[in-house]
Amino acid sequence: MPQNNSLQSATTDIVEMGRTITPALQQEIEQFLYHEAELLDDRKIAEWVDLMADDIHYFMPLRTTRGPRDRNLELSGAHDIAYFDESKASLQLRLRKLQTGTAWAEEPPSRTRHLVTNVRISTTAKADEYEVKSAFLLYRNRSERQTDIFAGERTDGLRRVDMPAGFKIFKRLILLDQATLEANNLSIFF
Amino acid sequence: MSVTKRNDAGAAPSVSLTDLFDEKSGTISPAIYADPQLYELELERVFSRSWLFIAHETHIPKAGDYLATYMAEDPVIAVRQKDGGVKVFLNQCRHRGMKICRTDGGNAKAFTCTYHGWAYDIGGNLVQVPLEQQSFACLDKKQWGARQARVDSYKGLIFATWNMDAPTLSDYLGDAKSYLDLILDRSEGGTEAIGGIVKWVIPCNWKFAAEQFCSDMYHGATSHMSPMMAASPDTLPGDPTDFSGRQFRASRGGHGTGFFVEGAEWLWRVGQAGEHVSGFDIAAAEQRTNLHRSGKRPVGFSQHMTVFPNFSIFAGANTARVWHPRGPGEIEVWAFGLVDKAASDAEKEQMRLMTLRTFSAAGTWEQDDGENWVEVQRVLRGHEARRTLFNAQMGAGAPRGEDPTFPETITNAFAEEAARGFYAHWQKLMTDVDGSFSKAGSYADAAE
Repeated sequence: MPQNNSLQSATTDIVEMGRTITPALQQEIEQFLYHEAELLDDRKIAEWVDLMADDIHYFMPLRTTRGPRDRNLELSGAHDIAYFDESKASLQLRLRKLQTGTAWAEEPPSRTRHLVTNVRISTTAKADEYEVKSAFLLYRNRSERQTDIFAGERTDGLRRVDMPAGFKIFKRLILLDQATLEANNLSIFF
Repeated sequence: MSVTKRNDAGAAPSVSLTDLFDEKSGTISPAIYADPQLYELELERVFSRSWLFIAHETHIPKAGDYLATYMAEDPVIAVRQKDGGVKVFLNQCRHRGMKICRTDGGNAKAFTCTYHGWAYDIGGNLVQVPLEQQSFACLDKKQWGARQARVDSYKGLIFATWNMDAPTLSDYLGDAKSYLDLILDRSEGGTEAIGGIVKWVIPCNWKFAAEQFCSDMYHGATSHMSPMMAASPDTLPGDPTDFSGRQFRASRGGHGTGFFVEGAEWLWRVGQAGEHVSGFDIAAAEQRTNLHRSGKRPVGFSQHMTVFPNFSIFAGANTARVWHPRGPGEIEVWAFGLVDKAASDAEKEQMRLMTLRTFSAAGTWEQDDGENWVEVQRVLRGHEARRTLFNAQMGAGAPRGEDPTFPETITNAFAEEAARGFYAHWQKLMTDVDGSFSKAGSYADAAE
């Protein structure tokens, strides 16, 4: 778990598991997330899929409203239906669908804006991997007046790679802050 | 069909009910998808008189397990009882109407209203009233239980109705049962639900969705070209007329289905990024179904189906769903996955992934359905658009019942025979002022 103390100055190094989250690392990872958001908002989906590691697990469970006795069941489980439960191959299939020119839910394409904030970084047992939590607000507008707003949290696994982007995403857990999805579909990525 | 002309008291739709659908000319008035007064009439005459899907038996396996769902706009709770039965009752406190259950599901010992504290047992009986002795002169709690619906089930699917005079569920399903069996009884032990219900909102009339799953194989090649191209670029058939299929219109009740019988084997793999569901013995499953005769069979479970009014299944993607109406221009889709109980864990996992990746809110197929219905609904804001008739003539006049393997079908999956059956039944209900048409006795009368 991250030990970030809100009273700490942004210029203070955060020591975690014997390693250090420096302001430089914080900035590097934030810049990576902004770059990723830019690819999605610029509709460069092929380049976005390239940011996913071959072992990516891209997962958005369902959420339900539960009483105290069943609160542990708020999120759907690994063997339940999810909004997304994707591998690299299935993300590539989604990409190929978008590239056909006949993917009518995104042709003409949506206008999206991915706002990413509240970035919290944890080190992991592996020196080149980080767990990164962030809050998102995703605005989608399409056709004439359709507007959808999605808010939630992502927990990403980032792996440092020798590429210009600096990292690949090998895990993305997306918690959508809705129980009944307030949209006619999910033809976009989070 | 012949329908008595009448002006219905209490509702004054902008067009006559008898003109809304004309089977002879194959025309539909778009007002049926947009008129708020027709919608109110539907709640009374269609949804309160028909059997409505509630849950799969495996959603609530143990005593006290409950699922909060809806019968049209009415919130209900379905609860497994200690004797193994299921009760379905209105999620409404009898005191001031507050919901007695504000959660989606789980296990309950009782349902206690969070307004004044009236408590109901898992059967919906009122069992505790705060200050009862001090403040109520004589409260007969037996008279103030939650309002009960009538419950029945068919091969794992639980339905309920408010119509105490309705035929049994089995009679209601009628000759559509043998086509439901293709999905529900295709392997030993039948089906079970995959955990989780995907719920999402589409601003469109419920009949667009229900009719499409009832009757419409036609839209696939246009609406769903992109996932087909993405999944099977090498094996895409050039011409959908190469497919041979059948369409079934229930002899009464408004149910319908359609499926391919040859030429579409590749459909099976479209959800799996090109991978087959390995190990699952499709042939054995098809053998089991009571429609497997004379070597003909539905291919790859490419079967769409609607049980009137608003429950649909698409066997190819193992998905079942209710289109809950939310006003004339909005639905909530509640979709869940169906798998064969007898399948291995690995096969179930592949089916789960196929379901959520194809026919679900984010499914590569279903995404595009939502887009179509939303656009149609938006067009129907127009006064002239609502007066401009829709064409539902496809396959009109095709002979029925010529294929002994698939009784009561016509020989082309690309048709609107089932849609015409859907709207004919809808119109019968809508023009049935006193509800006599949907009573058990009259239900067995002549075919629609």
